[in-house]
Amino acid sequence: MKVEFWGQEFKVNLFIGIPGAFLIAVASSMFGFGGGPFMVPLMAVGLRLPMYIIVGSSLLAIFFNTLMGSFRHYGFGNFDLIFFLLMFPGAILGGYIGPRIAKRLNPIIVKRVACVGLTILALQLLGVF
Amino acid sequence: MSVKILTLLTIITLITIQPEILKAQPQEAQAQQQKPEVTIQLDKKTLKNGGTVIVSGKAPEGKPVYIEVWTEERVRAARLDADIDKETGKRPYIFYMTDEMPAFYNLLVPKEFSDVLEAEKKLGRKWSVSTVLRNTGATAVFEAPAQAKIDRYQTTLWASIIGSRGELLPPMDKTENKRRAMQLVKAKFRELPVVFKATVDIAPDGTYKAPIELPSNAPPGKYYVIAKVDKDTKSETATFENSIGFPSVYLNNAGRTINLFVPFLLTVAITTFGVLMGAGGGFILNPVLVMMGLPHTVVAGTVMPTVLFSQGSGIYNYSKIKFISFKLGITLGLAMLAGGFIGPKLTELITLEQYKFLFGWILLILAALMLWQTTPKYIEKNKKEQAILREYQRRAIEAAKKKQEGGK
Repeated sequence: MKVEFWGQEFKVNLFIGIPGAFLIAVASSMFGFGGGPFMVPLMAVGLRLPMYIIVGSSLLAIFFNTLMGSFRHYGFGNFDLIFFLLMFPGAILGGYIGPRIAKRLNPIIVKRVACVGLTILALQLLGVF
Repeated sequence: MSVKILTLLTIITLITIQPEILKAQPQEAQAQQQKPEVTIQLDKKTLKNGGTVIVSGKAPEGKPVYIEVWTEERVRAARLDADIDKETGKRPYIFYMTDEMPAFYNLLVPKEFSDVLEAEKKLGRKWSVSTVLRNTGATAVFEAPAQAKIDRYQTTLWASIIGSRGELLPPMDKTENKRRAMQLVKAKFRELPVVFKATVDIAPDGTYKAPIELPSNAPPGKYYVIAKVDKDTKSETATFENSIGFPSVYLNNAGRTINLFVPFLLTVAITTFGVLMGAGGGFILNPVLVMMGLPHTVVAGTVMPTVLFSQGSGIYNYSKIKFISFKLGITLGLAMLAGGFIGPKLTELITLEQYKFLFGWILLILAALMLWQTTPKYIEKNKKEQAILREYQRRAIEAAKKKQEGGK
């Protein structure tokens, strides 16, 4: 598939893009997280697209997944309204604070901290300790 | 003529008398059962945010006494039976689900059975409700969860793919329903000490005493308590009320009371950090909530919609400056739409253990991705990419401005 973006044309390999996006959507809607951190590498490395086309388009693609996943979870009765109302303002507030702190922090260090934190959390989930 | 009338009269009398004969029998039986062989008293009638109620009374001498405690609040419990059937050697793939599981259930057994509970606890995840009941002699008194109506669905691979629960099978008989209810009790409450406690103190003369401990996360509302010796010898139903106050709230679907600041502050902190590391907060928020003991289905189903708004506003901002390729976004989006249809179905089918296991591996992959993003080669490339990104974004914003001015 050919995509035109700001005067440049890109070839997108749908044989990688569609199954990849599908699998990421299954996993992310199953576990209830956004698929962003997986979609961006898929589009950057798998589809060889530049960052400036990825940022907006990946968000649009993920939105489809979140919308459908939310409806399905709701349909299966796994949505708790009060719980949602407690977390929703928190998510908005976090989304407001985050970018304001981000300017003052070194992203490399943040990623390294995240890396250690995620590994600890993962090992805990796997029951290693 | 007179013969006819006589027959008619006989029939009428028979009809009127018969129901009374029928009624008489159960009444007698009931009278026998209700003979107060087991008495029950509670030291309190109300609790606030959990606490302890002492139950005491008298039962026939030398008999074990079991205390069943449950709440009127109901929650969902579900389990996919995929264990190989010993007789046929096949996996049944039957999905059992009820919406009538008590949100709180305790079965207190005599103190002498504490060894039995300890031994079963040592089995870890493999403990089973039916074994505990059998070894403590409590099978007959396990009643409140067994009354929940359990639906069962024949799940197939195809049904999972199209995202349905499968074909609804005919309802089960009482015995089978009870057996499945035991499995659902484990699926819902997970840990043995949450349900079973060997705390009933029985004196030689038959007086018994036991504490009913209601944790602070127990649901509010009415609680029922019955002391039982066996299926027919039991006390009347005693009740007490648990009330919750600020800052506690009851989560209907999760079946738990929670301090309302906990999820709020947790979401603020984790979303902030999520923005910093460039991943959504769900990766950290979900496992933390699940480890706090909330059901993974409710966590996944409730965290997902919280990001809808921020995603929507992001898309709106990008589309204002025409920084989205709709062709690319929608093409991949349709593939994700299909994926998002199937995923939530799978959340229901997997157990908590499987959820934790799979999530653990996903987090390890994510950690590896993060590590890769801190390698010098990636940073070098990313710098250039970011510069180009900013340049294009600048142009896009200018173009959008110009257009707006032109429009005026």
